[in-house]
Amino acid sequence: MIRIKPRLVALTAIAAALAVPAQAAKITVVGWGGTWDQAYKEGVWDVYEAETDNTIVMEEWAGELAKVRAQVQSGNITYDLVAAEAPSVEIGCAEGLFVPLSEEITGPADSYLPGTLHECGVASDTWATVLAYDKDAVGGVEPTSWADYFDIEKIPGKRGMLAQAQYTLENALMGDGVPAAEVYDVLSTPEGVDRAFAMLDSIRDHIVWWNTTTQAVQNLSSGEVVMTDQYNARITNEIQNEGKNWDIVWEAGFFYGTDMWAVVSGAPNEEAAIELVKWFSEPEHQAGFSKLYAYGTGRREAADFIPAEQLGHLPSSPEHAEFGAEYDTDFWVENKESLEARFKAWLGQ
Amino acid sequence: MTPAFGASGRGGERLLALLVLPALIFVLAVFVVPVARFLTLSVDNAELGQGLSHTVAALAADPPAEGEAPGEAVFAALVADLAAAREVRQDALIAQALNQRMVGTRFLVIKTARDAARGDFTAPFRPAVLEAHPDWQDPAIWRTIAAHGGKLTDYHLLAALDLRRDAAGAIVQAPPEATLFRQLLGRTIWISVVVTAVCALLALPLASAITAAPPGWSRVLFALVLFPLWSSLLVRTVIWIIVLQRNGPVNAALVATGLTDAPITLIYTRFSLYLAMIQVLLPLMVLSVVSVMRRVPPSYMKAALSLGAPWFTAWRTVQLPLILPGLMAGSAIVFVFAIGYYVTPLLVGGPGDQMISSMIAFYTNQTLNWGLAAALSVQVLTLLVAMTLTGLALRALARRGVPA
Repeated sequence: MIRIKPRLVALTAIAAALAVPAQAAKITVVGWGGTWDQAYKEGVWDVYEAETDNTIVMEEWAGELAKVRAQVQSGNITYDLVAAEAPSVEIGCAEGLFVPLSEEITGPADSYLPGTLHECGVASDTWATVLAYDKDAVGGVEPTSWADYFDIEKIPGKRGMLAQAQYTLENALMGDGVPAAEVYDVLSTPEGVDRAFAMLDSIRDHIVWWNTTTQAVQNLSSGEVVMTDQYNARITNEIQNEGKNWDIVWEAGFFYGTDMWAVVSGAPNEEAAIELVKWFSEPEHQAGFSKLYAYGTGRREAADFIPAEQLGHLPSSPEHAEFGAEYDTDFWVENKESLEARFKAWLGQ
Repeated sequence: MTPAFGASGRGGERLLALLVLPALIFVLAVFVVPVARFLTLSVDNAELGQGLSHTVAALAADPPAEGEAPGEAVFAALVADLAAAREVRQDALIAQALNQRMVGTRFLVIKTARDAARGDFTAPFRPAVLEAHPDWQDPAIWRTIAAHGGKLTDYHLLAALDLRRDAAGAIVQAPPEATLFRQLLGRTIWISVVVTAVCALLALPLASAITAAPPGWSRVLFALVLFPLWSSLLVRTVIWIIVLQRNGPVNAALVATGLTDAPITLIYTRFSLYLAMIQVLLPLMVLSVVSVMRRVPPSYMKAALSLGAPWFTAWRTVQLPLILPGLMAGSAIVFVFAIGYYVTPLLVGGPGDQMISSMIAFYTNQTLNWGLAAALSVQVLTLLVAMTLTGLALRALARRGVPA
């Protein structure tokens, strides 16, 4: 049995404390949970912990900005760094909930892809909502457009759809023949909104609504639906890791959006969290996540660190990019409340 | 003074107060005060009333001509208000509040506030602001600002009932595509009523069996009723997804027995929501009814039957009035619980089966519209208080009707 000498332990501790003048921080990082968090841990945080004395404490949330606002207002802040959707970063930044980041931290603004850098945020990942289907369930008629998704006669079977207005109204307009690039011009008019709802009305009885990605993937697996809207990486994951005979219809048109890392103002480890963002802003570190998960990065140079095969699965891949359009953050910041209320009333009719 | 307490006189009262005090402080500190503070947000108008106080005052003093933007004094006040708000990071809240009342003004306010704080605007302010942000030309914005001054507002309380004020200040219906909350309130009450009624119907025979069974069996039955209360709400709810899903056991049995040709949709429907809520809430009803039934001697029913009353008449005129207090208490508990249900509809209901709590959560968490979230909470609270008062009034009337 080994006897531990208390004095020796104390001396070692003092020596260790003297040797590392910069205090090691425990940074609380709040992600989206599930496979997303897993990929971030393996691809990014483990590398960071190996390179520095700091440790990462991972928590998960569903992007509720209210939690950050309540923490900041009460002064009882537990989050240091959060992954939030771009509209939330926009709102939180304007309210002073997030720390503004200079180019010294994020790297030059012109090295970022459009929409992936914000006054208060650096892209954690760029995702796309795509049309996905089960090849075995469509009876040989493969969908090529959102119009096919809304055509029950051409391809019979239920459709999976996200139970909210945001991201769903866009798909409805594409189903009505509006090219992705023109969707917001149409959606900004009252007639355009009516048009989107009329489109949803047309297949109302054939929709299986989903709230979580797990539900949507489960519904496609069990045959409850033959096709669904979904985040691209979830579908790629199922094809690559679960051997599903599914496909993504990139050419149907898709929208992409960006989640961002934002530092909470007055967070207990604000300084360390900013340093972490600085570290993460290196292209090589940004690529760590995209290598494992088919979502894009903020900085263009990150592509140099991602294998060509994986690049082909990203929304930003040259093969897909021409079919995509960016989610309009500002549109949703202003219209979310009124359109979601109308959507919920429509659902209940 | 409760005689049953066993103490008497002033010492007893003091002891009583001391015993109650810790719980009272706890409830006040962690429940009453925070809830009351949150509810005040439903009428609070700090963003527009105070944040834009000078602008509102200037608009009142110098109302713009019909169809035009107001004059220099109003623009000067706007620049001052927004610059001051920006300093304390209140500009985004003003922008949010104005955008709720007039969609599409959020970024206009934020950008103008940013420029104002930077000192971009110099006198005369009207042309300077209009040149940088021509959208301020829109008379509708100014009408909206003028209509929403003051320390307090009824905007959220009205919105929670699908009402709003028109330009003249009269209360009018919201346009049909913007009506949601009455539908939601009606649905919430209906679901709660159905759940309460079914619980009562199921609890009566079950409670009778528990009271009538020999002691050993009675204990087993009682434990079976209580068992669900010991498992987590989430587990009890999620189990229904597994049981009712398309390739779940219920559908397999339906197809195997030839009752249906293909699996039918059971989960994410009103039906599955009722099932899950009744399962969770039934024990509360059974507990209330059993506790009352145990105090009713079986000889009463026997006496009525032996005197020749048909079974149902005997039950209705002798048994039911005696167990009615338990049934009412159980119904009140089940209804109050059901009204606030959130997780169960979210997990096993469809999007058309969501209850009022889901919208409170939506406005609290997602859009940070805490005013409307508070107004919806006030609505639920008012409903419950009104029901309690009605219940008390009915009981008082019933007592008066029965001669002592």
